[in-house]
Amino acid sequence: MPTKVERWKDETYGMEIRDHLLRFAEEGWDAIPDDEHDAWFERFKWWGLYHQRKGQESYFMMRIGTPMGRMTPEQLRTVGEVANEYATGPVDNPEFGAAYADFTTRQSIQLHWIKVEDIEDIWDELESVGLSTIQACGDSWRNIVGSPVAGRDADELINVWPVVQELHETFKGNDLYSNLPRKWKVAVTGDRRGAGQGDINDLAFEPAVKEIDGEASETPLAAGNAGDGEVVEGFNVNVGGGLARKEPRFARDIDVFCRPENASDVAAGLSALFRDYGDRDDRFNARIKFLVDEWGAEKVRAVLQDEYVDYELPTAGEGLRDEYDYNAGRADAAGDYIGVHDQSDGQNFVGLSVLVGRMAADDVIELADLADDYGSEMIGLTQRQNVIVGDIADDDLDDFLDEDLLDEYSPDPHPFMRGSIACTGTEYCSLSIVETKNRMVRYGRWLRDNVPVPEGVEDFHIHLSGCTASCAQPQIADVSLRGMKTRKDGDAVEAFDVGLGGGLGENPKFADWVKMRVPADEIPGYIANLLDTYEAERAGPEESFRDFVAGRDEDELAALAESEETSYEDPYLGNTKLTWYPYAEDTSMDASPAPTDGQGESLPSDD
Amino acid sequence: MADRVLKVNAFTTFDLLDASVEGHGFEETAFATLNVRTAREAPEEVTLELELDNTELESVPPHADRVTLSAAEAERLADELQSAADRVAAAEGE
Repeated sequence: MPTKVERWKDETYGMEIRDHLLRFAEEGWDAIPDDEHDAWFERFKWWGLYHQRKGQESYFMMRIGTPMGRMTPEQLRTVGEVANEYATGPVDNPEFGAAYADFTTRQSIQLHWIKVEDIEDIWDELESVGLSTIQACGDSWRNIVGSPVAGRDADELINVWPVVQELHETFKGNDLYSNLPRKWKVAVTGDRRGAGQGDINDLAFEPAVKEIDGEASETPLAAGNAGDGEVVEGFNVNVGGGLARKEPRFARDIDVFCRPENASDVAAGLSALFRDYGDRDDRFNARIKFLVDEWGAEKVRAVLQDEYVDYELPTAGEGLRDEYDYNAGRADAAGDYIGVHDQSDGQNFVGLSVLVGRMAADDVIELADLADDYGSEMIGLTQRQNVIVGDIADDDLDDFLDEDLLDEYSPDPHPFMRGSIACTGTEYCSLSIVETKNRMVRYGRWLRDNVPVPEGVEDFHIHLSGCTASCAQPQIADVSLRGMKTRKDGDAVEAFDVGLGGGLGENPKFADWVKMRVPADEIPGYIANLLDTYEAERAGPEESFRDFVAGRDEDELAALAESEETSYEDPYLGNTKLTWYPYAEDTSMDASPAPTDGQGESLPSDD
Repeated sequence: MADRVLKVNAFTTFDLLDASVEGHGFEETAFATLNVRTAREAPEEVTLELELDNTELESVPPHADRVTLSAAEAERLADELQSAADRVAAAEGE
């Protein structure tokens, strides 16, 4: 039997939700019937709006999808201006101030404290510069991820920007694919870094070459021994990756090679296959990873070929996985875009570290102005929640690197300020059970100030997620932190399960979980002890932390380090889930001003 | 160690409880999660699920236990829990 969500979607979904949102914007929060909140909040997601958690009623998170995280300076400036004007709440964040933008692991932007009454004005501003919130959430094609420097990166096989633009144009606002059984996440990678992180997507195009003779040859390319056919650059197609629901999967190889010009056809076929065969009776079983589990890769390929694609699909080509270094935990290459990199046109792109992906709105605007001043035409958001400024000429590079803003968002950050990702956490999220972003910032600073960095370590990836939903991708980090609770001195306190040694690259691997319920204030001490052991026991600086973990069994990993209290102080140790806002002076639910009207004035409570 | 079997988020009924496991020749204590769950659509039964932290256990492999209850059984359990809770509360008030 179709789920309640499916019934809501059958009534109203897709493009038409926009008209309803505009009506609610005109009439105000109270116009959304109380008994229809769940249905409307589910539908609003399709247009990029998530209702915030208990205690923050009438406030929304707004997500802006930027394909491959790519923007112009003008678009970035608009994001900062919208954040300043519309994304401020009743209480400032003690680390980030009144207004800020979050850069997400899917290269989108999230703003909080958005009022439904402001939606039309916000859309007007965003859409005037070509930005949109369409399908940023909901059961449809989400923001397409990939390298924002595609076409600029000197280290790529294929420039996938035209491919991604075509996919974006084809599948956004397309009624045929607007109501899928669940979200549909697509990654397109053309670089040699593996920066698309396709392994954790529903559909992944991975760079590959294939020798094709005549029409559609099945001849695989023999390494170093190309035959008489044409060697074509394109993609291998993988399906069914994802981290959520405590059921992590890497995308499975369905043995299909795809030319860039066929990407839309193959993507249309696979998303239609998902639309038609995905499980609409159980949302927990709806993602295509479960269909791939059930069918196997061979059947997925066969059904795609027989029912959805009208040309003969070539078998997979030769991939580039052995070159991948993005979030791969390699000792010989940093796993991100931080620093100065060569562009193919002789200019440079500069990756800047944005700790936990959150940037103050004024800094967003300043960065946009800076990019303009230096003639940049491209700002990129990365899946590691960082930002890239493209097109910096050699002659300007030193001046750019000397800019004051880069003291805060550094192209050469301390290793502990470089590799951290955090999800939204109890600040706004309904699912999280711990505070995340501010805590991760404090962890980073404490580690920087107190813990020696093992020789040779440039970046050290800590992914902090507030619950088992995996929004901070905790399974693919050097150190994985996942929100939990424990008891300390008789009180319930926020804590983390700890995993080690996950990452992508040539041989992707999920973290091994080694500790449960480590009190949040003892995590820095644990990491300090862990790195001490790593430096003392590793074979040498050439042994990466990930390899160090991979070489040890379960008992050895559990014994690597103990947690302990240190000089680190954690202001969020109590149960932040029970607050209306963790940083308010009076955090009790009764002190919440929500729901409020369009001017932020409290509305009468229904209670 | 193995990952948790049960998901844990803000909708989990209890994310921190004291629990024990006992068998022939062994008894161990551990923290546990306990969750009450029903299907979102047309639920026909109540599921009670319990998982003890596997890092604290040597006698049993990582696992979670589930019990399914009819509506009547769930109500009877709720009644008995209420009665028991009343007795404990009364005793604490003495």
